[in-house]
Amino acid sequence: MISLLTFVLSQMAPGDPVELKLKGGLGGSSGQSSEKIAGEQAYIDLNKKLGRDLPAFYFAVTSKAFPDTLYKVYKKEERETLTRLIEQYGNWNEISTYYHAAKALEFSLFDRAIDTIDNSTFERSRNIREACNDLYRTSDNGDVKQHLKRINDAVNQSVQVVQADSTTMAYNSLADVVPFATAVNSAYASVTAKASSSAKYIPSFHWYGTGNQYHRWLFGDAPWFGASTDPTKTSKGFFRGDFGYSYLDGRPVVSILGDALKWTLLLNLIAFILIYGISIPMGVSLAVRKDTTYDKLTTTINFILYSLPSFWIATLLITFFTSDYYGDWMDIFPTHGVGKTGEEYSFLEQVTDRAYHFVLPIFCMLYGSFAYISRQMRGGMLSVLRQDFIRTAFAKGLEPNTVYWKHAFRNSLIPIITMFASFLPAMISGAVIIEYIFTIPGMGRVSYESVVARNFPVLFTILMFSAILTMLGNLLSDVLYALVDPRISFTKKQ
Amino acid sequence: MAANTGESYWDIVRRQFRKNKLAVLSLRILYFIIFVGVFADFIANEKPIVCKLNGNTYFPVLRQYIVDAGLGGWPKDLQNADWLNLKYEFAIHPPIPYSPTTVDLTNGDYASPGGEQDVASWRWRHQLGTDQIGRDVLAGLVHGTRIAMLVGVVSMAIATVIGILLGAISGYFGDSRMQVSRIRLLANILFVFFGWFYAFHVRSYAMEQALAEGFGTFTLQFLFSLGIFLLIMTIPNLLIAPLRQIPVLGAKVTIPVDIIISRIIEIIISIPTLLLILSITAIVKKPSIMLIMVIIGLTGWTGIAKYIRAELLRVRSLEYIEAAQALGFSEWRIILKHAIPNALTPVLIAIAFGVAGAILTESSLSFLGIGVQSEVITWGKLLSSARESSEAWWLAVFPGFAIFITVTIFNLIGEGLTDAMDPRLKQ
Repeated sequence: MISLLTFVLSQMAPGDPVELKLKGGLGGSSGQSSEKIAGEQAYIDLNKKLGRDLPAFYFAVTSKAFPDTLYKVYKKEERETLTRLIEQYGNWNEISTYYHAAKALEFSLFDRAIDTIDNSTFERSRNIREACNDLYRTSDNGDVKQHLKRINDAVNQSVQVVQADSTTMAYNSLADVVPFATAVNSAYASVTAKASSSAKYIPSFHWYGTGNQYHRWLFGDAPWFGASTDPTKTSKGFFRGDFGYSYLDGRPVVSILGDALKWTLLLNLIAFILIYGISIPMGVSLAVRKDTTYDKLTTTINFILYSLPSFWIATLLITFFTSDYYGDWMDIFPTHGVGKTGEEYSFLEQVTDRAYHFVLPIFCMLYGSFAYISRQMRGGMLSVLRQDFIRTAFAKGLEPNTVYWKHAFRNSLIPIITMFASFLPAMISGAVIIEYIFTIPGMGRVSYESVVARNFPVLFTILMFSAILTMLGNLLSDVLYALVDPRISFTKKQ
Repeated sequence: MAANTGESYWDIVRRQFRKNKLAVLSLRILYFIIFVGVFADFIANEKPIVCKLNGNTYFPVLRQYIVDAGLGGWPKDLQNADWLNLKYEFAIHPPIPYSPTTVDLTNGDYASPGGEQDVASWRWRHQLGTDQIGRDVLAGLVHGTRIAMLVGVVSMAIATVIGILLGAISGYFGDSRMQVSRIRLLANILFVFFGWFYAFHVRSYAMEQALAEGFGTFTLQFLFSLGIFLLIMTIPNLLIAPLRQIPVLGAKVTIPVDIIISRIIEIIISIPTLLLILSITAIVKKPSIMLIMVIIGLTGWTGIAKYIRAELLRVRSLEYIEAAQALGFSEWRIILKHAIPNALTPVLIAIAFGVAGAILTESSLSFLGIGVQSEVITWGKLLSSARESSEAWWLAVFPGFAIFITVTIFNLIGEGLTDAMDPRLKQ
């Protein structure tokens, strides 16, 4: 389900990843067909590598107005324009004729010899090609008409040439293009004239089978065993650990996330040990000393801590403790980063510097969950201490500490375990702001950066992972429930 | 004795709630915050409330509402007026004579609240300082209150509607009580497809055009589509009446709604909201604060649904529901008129915590600079401007404090409600 949601999101993502990766380096501006064809070929190849030449899903439900082979128009931009046109006019035959006429016009202008009579030929043919490219991008009637006018103006320019018999004659160096241009004009005219909306209202269903983008994204198209024989089918798919490539630098997503995960794990492990190591004993001691001043005071402080937004505290700490503006002694901590990394520093140096840099971020990650967990622990412990078997234990004359830690503690762990389930995914998303503020290159910062740069392969992999981690967390806490309380079992009662 | 005087459950809850001093105090602060949010334009505004100019009396703050509603315009000489430097014959200014977007260049570059400011008198001081380009921090805070309240109200309104509806269905029908005839099930599934096709697929062009134009037009188009969808969905339910008489088609099927809805809740909980919002804002070309409110609402209903479900599981076996069933009322009438009103009180707890969560999510997002247009001033955005200068402590302290107070009072109110509704206290 989540894979579906993520996939839908990735399909809705704006921008053409292929275009982005080629950095707009599609040839054709110099007017040589070889360059244009090479550019188109590069596009097709990359499209194929990213698996975007396939239909999106196992099946498609559209209206009869749409052809089932629309996905074969390989450029995302052009495909979208065609979709808009179909939605507007609903006559695929005419639209297809129009599209091919425009393509034919564009290709008729390549590889022209320099015309000695009409020097502006090159300029004019470039204008027409640009107008064609604009046509592929727009479906708005007014815009299309304007681009058509540009084409017509450029095509129909002619110069007066003095002939041998000293009569002048209009000469058009692009005369051979005129029929193509006329074809485009008339094709568009028939698109608008023969608009038929009836086909739009008849649903149709196409089945594409497993050769689709979603299937490829999840399971890959490379054979499961043995080496791949077809060089175009190399994707292993999400479930085999192939998450695709970053749009920005072409690095595999795995290696980007691997680097980031290292920092996030380190930070969270330290925070995790500190949180549970302090807050569980504290919760127990609060429950034991219920209604004393110590209990009331700590509970109130905990409540306030829990409501303090961590990004506020982080900003405050950075403002006051990382510069000497408020006095030299206040400049205690480094502002951001993770400190010294690299071979030139000794291990000890790296560890101490790391610790120095981690004090503030870990504190910010810590205090909220710390307050929350000790509250939960106190509540869980209190409800156990009210029960009869505890009274019995005291009546037997057991040491209070034995009663608390041996009898009550284990039974009060249930609410804590429930929170375990959310710990794993929170590790990734919870750190977004802290890592952003302290510029720690962890998962949170990577996801923030990929949002800003619209780097979808990375973003969606993170989204998928955190969903999977939640499920793992749920599983983990189910197992722990059974460990803590043997009465809980997950086999069906007979 | 109180229990015998016909005191309703709601009265008991209210009485218990009043005993909690902290919660009552929070409620008072909440009233104050709501007041500030509603009357933000009268509290912090560069336009005077009343003024006399060239012999004419104006009410510029009120006038702005009329202009915004498209019902009128400004007089020519006031169209692009520099309100702070007009020669008034007489004027009453709001307590804070600056708008959140007013740029005071003479007091720019982080004028400190306690430091020297180049202003005419104490009345014109920037009480909480300014930011880099000289915008008043206090005015920003006042108007940020409105955004924060709006986020809480809108997102929780969406969440409440979805949560109550799904939670009620899940709790009332359970896994075994929703029985429909085969033909009704089939026809509905078929027509959901047709409804989607004619309402959304065919109209996708119109809707995309509307989305490009703005959120308001899109909402209109969306509601129109929704209308078509609902209209189409009534067809099968009218058609099947005769077909139901055929035994094979009329046989009852049990739908395990409880399991289905519980799974949906689990799925939604397993998606981290912050990451989901980040992903969606990356897709939408022009993210707006409205969109963020809607997403928070669409993902934040699970807590409410859980409360309602638990309540209805209890309520549905009460005798008065049985009586209603015996009287032959339709299931929907029983749910809407009899069961839900009795289960609403605990939902307040979920709403209180939900508002706190929504405000926190929105302020973290605007702190990250995601999804908020540049002309909107929010608390999170003010706070993030503190990152540009460590000297401007007032930018770090005050906006964060506003977020903290608001989140805390909602948490305290939620806490107070939880205590007040604890059945153990009722005796």
